[in-house]
Amino acid sequence: MIKTNAKKMIKLKGVAASSGIAIGQGFKLTGDVIKVEERDIPRGKIELEIKKFKKAIDSTKRELGEIQSQAKSKIGKEGKDVFDAHLSLLEDQLVIEETIAQIKKQRKNSDFIYYEVMQGFQDSLQNVDNEYFMGRVADIKDVKRRLIKNIQGRESRFLNNITKKAIIVAHDLTPSETVLLDRQKVLAFATDTGGKTSHAAIMARSMQIPSVVGVEKITSNVNTGDTVIVDGINGIVIINPSQLILNKYLKLRAAYDELTKDLSRFRELPCRTLDGKDVELSANLDFLDEVNSIINYGAKGIGLFRTEYLYMTSEKLPTEEDEFQEYLNISEMFHPHPVIIRTLDIGGDKNPRCCSIPEEDNPAMGWRAIRFCLENPNIFKSQLRAILRASANKNVKILLPMISCVEEIYKTKTIIDQVKGELLSLKIPFDDNIEIGAMIEVPSAALTADVIAEEVDFLSIGTNDLIQYTVAVDRTNLRVAYLYNRLPLSVLRLIQRVVDAGHSKGVWVGMCGEMAGDPLATLILLGIGLDELSVSPAMILEIKKIIRTVTFADSQKIAEKALQMRTSEQVERYIRNVMTTRYKLKIN
Amino acid sequence: MITKKVKINSPDGLHMKPAHELVKVAQKFQSKIILNKDGTKVEGKSILSVLALAAGIGQELELIADGPDENEAIEALVILFNHDFK
Repeated sequence: MIKTNAKKMIKLKGVAASSGIAIGQGFKLTGDVIKVEERDIPRGKIELEIKKFKKAIDSTKRELGEIQSQAKSKIGKEGKDVFDAHLSLLEDQLVIEETIAQIKKQRKNSDFIYYEVMQGFQDSLQNVDNEYFMGRVADIKDVKRRLIKNIQGRESRFLNNITKKAIIVAHDLTPSETVLLDRQKVLAFATDTGGKTSHAAIMARSMQIPSVVGVEKITSNVNTGDTVIVDGINGIVIINPSQLILNKYLKLRAAYDELTKDLSRFRELPCRTLDGKDVELSANLDFLDEVNSIINYGAKGIGLFRTEYLYMTSEKLPTEEDEFQEYLNISEMFHPHPVIIRTLDIGGDKNPRCCSIPEEDNPAMGWRAIRFCLENPNIFKSQLRAILRASANKNVKILLPMISCVEEIYKTKTIIDQVKGELLSLKIPFDDNIEIGAMIEVPSAALTADVIAEEVDFLSIGTNDLIQYTVAVDRTNLRVAYLYNRLPLSVLRLIQRVVDAGHSKGVWVGMCGEMAGDPLATLILLGIGLDELSVSPAMILEIKKIIRTVTFADSQKIAEKALQMRTSEQVERYIRNVMTTRYKLKIN
Repeated sequence: MITKKVKINSPDGLHMKPAHELVKVAQKFQSKIILNKDGTKVEGKSILSVLALAAGIGQELELIADGPDENEAIEALVILFNHDFK
């Protein structure tokens, strides 16, 4: 049973690897340390030792085959591919030959020799300065452990001894262990190590097991039987919660579970108000591996394709070809629905090694995004060419970040026209009518949105920066965080100006910032007249539900009333009241 | 023995899946296959060795094949690199 007790509450922060909230008893998996002892093997028994090694490879191969078929049914092709690679790691000829040769030469036990051989490879990857390759150490360890256990004739850990529902806490979980988790018993998991791109995290997302990884010292803070909360939405683990926190999370979990159950029926329904106004609801895309969840949640198009990840992974700039392939891939996946590709938005807090941006005293207001791109025409042109080439199917749009004034649009359009001319002369197909949009996230652009709208095909409001610059508040600074409201009155008024300015010039206006995915803001945004909302994948269904519950006419009145209030707090109270009493909508 | 320079185009570099595909192709040939990354040479038929190169996007590699079917081997590997290991 869930109980609070006198033990001290501990709150730990990690990486949110898989969404959802779980509350339950912790089950600490003892470290899966493989013990390998060095032993001498008498000359006469060397052949036997080698035989034992080969036999262990065979049984490991069978085990991996079974795990792979589970992965295929639970996760799909992506899961199958992971274990194809694991099988290939297991059967690495160089490793097998080297292990056998060393058993003969050193006359030592096979698990010891194999361990040593594998360690060499593991070490070389551990020291690479690249998250992706470092992450693959977990895959190598996984295969290594399984084979060594089979040589030693030992069972793989746990899995069988979880008899009741529990939250698993472990130093790490290997990809194969994750696949084998019993969804009926495992409520969630939290680990000391791991990152968002580890195979274990990817699988947890597909299997919809809430999880937080990379929680430093989680295993030393949890004892089996402790009450544990895993908040996979915010990447938080709470051990021995106080009654207050426990109650809060019980409510949150109920809301989340009901939402996901209740919401799935909205997947195929249009995003339309009761009185028939359609709102384009699309998803923000940060990484390629989010595509599946975006499709699962029923989003039709991509309203904000953040391209920075292509630039963050390497010391070298991506080639035009790399980018083209990536953009083409995504645009084909969502065809015929639009894919809005935002051009490089670096600087500020994102400073990739491939673009040398000098350190600045005030990076938020410094050399970033479009400002950087216009000064680096080679980098900019290469990306624009890639986007244009991917636009031949006519569902790609270009979005320009951090526009401060219309001059930046003029300059960018000149460059786009040059690139178009080059493609034309090379007879490379592209969409000559490709829509170009400006991001409105700087107050100066918001105030001149009518001028900017005359030069573009659409406007997309970025709220995170717009709030920061309008209210002059850094929301990570706790002393001034009180100024950062969910519904800041000043910014809502600015948004209304932008929407009206866009519509008066005949262009559509969308929003791709965090506010677009905040259920508390939906009624006002709808009422203000936004044509499109682009939200994080997990919020798509919830936002759709709200829009389908109300009428556009009503939302207009609500927005009008809200914008005439005197404080942001009053706005929030009013909206909460309308949502819960008039529409019976639950809200966090 | 023949050699050929290639460049890695996949965004995550020569990661697990490309490495797996590369090894699969390399193993079809009798010739010895070596990958040379800036002087570090590894066995092209061993996925662990290929992974341990940690070759990222944009990295140039020298492919070396030595044996009775070296021409065919190089040709097949170059195709793989040019098609992004698909």
